[in-house]
Amino acid sequence: MSWPLVWQYTLANALLGVVPALLGLVISIPAGVACARWRWFYAPVLSVTSILYAIPSIALFVVLIDYTGLSDTTVIIPLTLFSLCVLLPSVVDGLRSVPPAVRQAATAMGYGPARRLLRVELPLAVPVIIAGLRVAVVSSISLATIGQLIGVSSLGYLFIDGLQRSFPTEIWVGLFLVIVLALVCDLILIIIRRALTPWAVRS
Amino acid sequence: MITFDRVTKRYGATVAVDALSLEVPPGKTIVLVGPSGCGKTTSLRMINRLIEPSEGKILLDGKDVQQASPAALRRGIGYVIQQAGLFPHRTVQDNIATVPLLNKWGKDKARARARELMDLVGLDAGMARRYPHQLSGGQQQRVGVARALAADPPVLLMDEPFSAVDPIVRASLQDELIRLQAELHKTIVMVTHDVEEAIKVGDLVAVFRPGGHLAQVDTPERLLGAPVDEYVADFVGFDRGIRRLSFFGADGLDLDTGPVLPATATAGEAQRLAVPWILVTSAERRPLGWISAAALSRLAAAAELAGAELAPIGHTFRPGRDSLRAALDATVLSRTECAVGVDADGAVLGVTSYERLRDAIRAAEEAADAAAAGP
Repeated sequence: MSWPLVWQYTLANALLGVVPALLGLVISIPAGVACARWRWFYAPVLSVTSILYAIPSIALFVVLIDYTGLSDTTVIIPLTLFSLCVLLPSVVDGLRSVPPAVRQAATAMGYGPARRLLRVELPLAVPVIIAGLRVAVVSSISLATIGQLIGVSSLGYLFIDGLQRSFPTEIWVGLFLVIVLALVCDLILIIIRRALTPWAVRS
Repeated sequence: MITFDRVTKRYGATVAVDALSLEVPPGKTIVLVGPSGCGKTTSLRMINRLIEPSEGKILLDGKDVQQASPAALRRGIGYVIQQAGLFPHRTVQDNIATVPLLNKWGKDKARARARELMDLVGLDAGMARRYPHQLSGGQQQRVGVARALAADPPVLLMDEPFSAVDPIVRASLQDELIRLQAELHKTIVMVTHDVEEAIKVGDLVAVFRPGGHLAQVDTPERLLGAPVDEYVADFVGFDRGIRRLSFFGADGLDLDTGPVLPATATAGEAQRLAVPWILVTSAERRPLGWISAAALSRLAAAAELAGAELAPIGHTFRPGRDSLRAALDATVLSRTECAVGVDADGAVLGVTSYERLRDAIRAAEEAADAAAAGP
């Protein structure tokens, strides 16, 4: 176990945690806007994301190997799908958290629907969306380690290598690094939220 | 000028507004009032097309509002809502600058305008960079009014603007609105369920009855003095006779100067007036207090009134500024059954009596009724 290699695994793991959550957000924003706009649409979409979440990650990896090979993409696609289960409801809840009086005021001031969404509703949904993003990032970081089973590098290497060599310290180091990585990413998201929402009520 | 021309709004089988025809003269404040579900809010929201009518037309300065694009129409109409509806993510100045920014004034000009309006509605300039949650309810509502006025729209719609604040703040916001309107002359349509508020701020009051029918549109004084039917009479309240007196000036009162004497007069002179109470005044004719006939009889005939013990005068009223209601109130509260009318300098003009009040009230009511009946 060499430290430069461990550093490399950590970075790879960070990437596999953050990229799926961001892709999930890119999908969830338009989908969430649609679900908030047309309420009947939300229940079926929510069922789909829950079913996706119920699929074991390893099963999805194996299916995807045929199409995307043993690449990062094979891990990123399932983790993106899993993140929808948290991110979509947080976008919908965020949009629903906008007080009706504020939405009505925006309309009455002369905002069209698109501008109202971009300038009023989405900015006000940011705290709830980032709360969802924090869960998505942390869970993706953790799930990404399973990708090691199909040879996609992450801190999961330390678990498998430690197991094969009966070297528990390596497993403990891996576990510790996964937790630290998750905490660091979480902290960054908290800082981003504070920067984006100077207006929010701090308790 | 806003004209409702047989406007009906239906939701399925329910009629929210039933063939409403109404004219709002330019520069006036009209208050729509009625119980919940009477269609007053629906009527208001049809003006800026937050709600579309099922039938009929609404004209704004002769132009059908249906012909304009909703966003453009709304930018020309100020809108104030309950609980202010401020944008929580924008500072006070950026909230106020909303419509100017939508109208592409540029940030500097829009913010300068916002500062102007903060001054107009009585907000401290130091609040410009605060966020709405850092303000009190009354301050938020002032920001709401400033935001509605920012692009200087000729028309202002106010949807229960003061219902979410406590009574003291509400009264001061109402006074502020009356002051602003005297300066700005907007065409204001306001909705409230509070008939007192309607009578206080409205040039005209439109009373709605359940089912979206207009029961009566009139000046506040006419509404109190001549409700068209029992529903309106009940709605405006049981003490409407007294409240109507607010609209009649106390200058119609013929004040009695008989029982008024300077402090230099003697008890003997006072007794010769043979009245139960005498008002004693200073050299500047300011009221000093009342002295009763019983107290006079205990004084030596040559003693000056200046040395006597006087009963307090209570509160005075000023004909020309105060109403008959104020004069009546002062009379009711006075233990002498007379209240003191004073001029702007506080000098005594004379005193009231119930008989004199009665005559003034009759004359004022007859004049108002005659004015309403004949052209």
